[in-house]
Amino acid sequence: MISTNTIESFEYDNRIVRNFGVATIIWGVVGMLVGVIIASQLFQPAMNVTQYGTFGRLRPLHTNAVIFAFVGNAIFMGVYYSLQRLCKARMFSDFLSKVHFWGWQLIIVAAAITLPLGMTTSHEYAELEWPIDIAITLIWVVFGINMFGTIFKRRERHLYVAIWFYVATFITVAVLHIINSFELPVSFMKSYYLYAGVQDALVQWWYGHNAVAFFLTTPFLGLMYYFLPKMSNRPVYSYKLSILHFWALIFIYIWAGPHHLLYTSLPDWAQSLGTVFSIMLIAPSWGGMINGLLTLRGAWDKVREDAILKFMVVGLTSYGMATFEGPMLSLKNINAIAHFTDWIVAHVHVGALGWNGFLTFAILYWLIPRLYNTVIFSKKLINIHFWIGTLGIIFYAIPMYISGFTQGMMWKEFTPEGTLKYGNFLETTLQLLSMHQMRAFGGLLYLSGAIIMSYNLFKTMAQGTLVANEKAEAPALSKEFVATGSDTYWHKWFERKPIPLLIGSLVMILIGSMIELIPTFTIQSNVPTISAVQPYTSLELEGRDLYIREGCVNCHSQMVRPFRSETERYGEYSKAGEFVYDHPFLWGSKRTGPDLHREGGKYPDSWHFHHMREPSSMSPGSIMPPYPWLLEQKLDVSQTADKLRAMKTLGVPYDEYQIKHANQDLKEQATVISENLAKEGIKINPDKEIIALIAYLQRLGTDIKK
Amino acid sequence: MFKQFINNVQGADVYMITSLLIFSVFFVLVGIYLFMIDKKHAKDMSYLPLKD
Repeated sequence: MISTNTIESFEYDNRIVRNFGVATIIWGVVGMLVGVIIASQLFQPAMNVTQYGTFGRLRPLHTNAVIFAFVGNAIFMGVYYSLQRLCKARMFSDFLSKVHFWGWQLIIVAAAITLPLGMTTSHEYAELEWPIDIAITLIWVVFGINMFGTIFKRRERHLYVAIWFYVATFITVAVLHIINSFELPVSFMKSYYLYAGVQDALVQWWYGHNAVAFFLTTPFLGLMYYFLPKMSNRPVYSYKLSILHFWALIFIYIWAGPHHLLYTSLPDWAQSLGTVFSIMLIAPSWGGMINGLLTLRGAWDKVREDAILKFMVVGLTSYGMATFEGPMLSLKNINAIAHFTDWIVAHVHVGALGWNGFLTFAILYWLIPRLYNTVIFSKKLINIHFWIGTLGIIFYAIPMYISGFTQGMMWKEFTPEGTLKYGNFLETTLQLLSMHQMRAFGGLLYLSGAIIMSYNLFKTMAQGTLVANEKAEAPALSKEFVATGSDTYWHKWFERKPIPLLIGSLVMILIGSMIELIPTFTIQSNVPTISAVQPYTSLELEGRDLYIREGCVNCHSQMVRPFRSETERYGEYSKAGEFVYDHPFLWGSKRTGPDLHREGGKYPDSWHFHHMREPSSMSPGSIMPPYPWLLEQKLDVSQTADKLRAMKTLGVPYDEYQIKHANQDLKEQATVISENLAKEGIKINPDKEIIALIAYLQRLGTDIKK
Repeated sequence: MFKQFINNVQGADVYMITSLLIFSVFFVLVGIYLFMIDKKHAKDMSYLPLKD
């Protein structure tokens, strides 16, 4: 019941939308370019240039750039445009909009600087170190205040479904980011996670999975529910379905994280819970896709002519494919083959390139001419972009599916005599090179499409004039509202009240999170302790930090799964009790190279020395980049005692004597390794970084053999 | 394979059953609501993006 109020005039802030749009375009091209570079490194190791440009350091740069810079800016662009119009109000504060924009760009720049420098926490998609984590939190709060401020001063009584998705995104990302960023700082840009081993893995993949859910999915569904009706000029197919879609999606998604840890040392019940909820996830995901596609009912003739709608259709179809494939990959028998292979890379890229990329492109093409009060510079170029982008996805995904399946099967193949058919891991890697070349070509096509789009959009901007403040009118909202008739339904209450909606969303995501996380933390004492498992020595701990710095975890897992094919290849399967001192866990998610959990004692120190200096000298044909700087750079031992002390604070049983004598112990162990190498004719000072890394690698997985 | 963990956690099965119950109750509630929803209101809501 809206009372007869006077019509109010106000202005929408288009400048902030434009700014986020330009940032989306620029960071998109940068992120995709880094993607093409790292894709090329996997078949051309010479592309690893200097220690700041190796695959291990650039891969997190690529993922962070496309997720938080490209997709992140696209989200803000779409939210700032649609929220103002759905609320019939200007953004709450122009100042906060600016702080949000520039703060977010500074965070991206900080990531682009620190990640190549090797400053990383090693948690996937959460690699940024603690000062940047704090900055992200602050800027996210600014975004939240600005969003809720706008909602509070709205001139539209009911909140459209897109806004629910924005609200759920805001609160869930906040919860995920904070809980997965509990780190104990050791120094500026170095910290250790509070959790260790199994707990750390569960928290990370609860976060990692839900970063996909609440950063790459829910905000984009919100954008879909706003922009698709606008683009096709017809309302969403079923508003009822959108309600079911919203509550079901946010409720179920949060439970599915453990499917990233099937067959690992994570408790069995948590793995099963992850699988069950992953399968249930098909329903709301497909509900959303169908709702989107059916919105175009009766408008398919438009799709034939309008390249923007073509982007939307391929985007939605990709979403459907990825969200069908995800639950399938959660089935243990499929996961056993697919996990750690290129299959997962293909899966995420169908989502990223198809769903996030194509929706973003469509929104940019629709939005920029409107912001500049003009028409698009070239419709032909949009069509070219669409086809080149679609071809890019095909050239990316198909080779990677073939590669992943080949890889998974080769790892498991036995001879009739009962030995591994491909006992040398490298054979399986080399088999995939042509697929990786084709994938890089696909990525290059996709990048070319994005560059064509940039040209088209910047030309569009040049021919128009920015309507920085767009005039609008709407009746003021009556402060006093008495619900009558159908307005008394409980969901309408939610639709009018942003804070209960926020709390409702929070409760939904907390139910799954708590049931999943709390028991795993309470069983800390039940993780079977293995008395032989001891904390790392000071030298090994420094070596482990080098392993983290170099991003080894991006290509090597440390998790031998309980399969005969793995125990044959690597040794005894990994036990939960072996990771109790691992802050952070380094199980990894991809095996471009072999698993390293049982690496200790497998080869002499000299093998590791030569292998790190020039991998192909020990493994001819290896695609691993050389790490010559480890032989030249002195190990920084200025914080060794502090690191041990930090670990002690986190519960690792170092005593005061060990902390006090950390550097002395380190030197003694380094000298022994240096002398070992000398016996084999290798002259190297014990103070070099390579010594610490060898110490760590030789320690890996050896405790249970004692 | 990892039976030792589930055996060590008292009442782990309770978590599974509780999860299923919460899930079922939740969906039944949303389902009931969807049947009760006012069609005119749903239509009005769906036109919101087209009205700005």
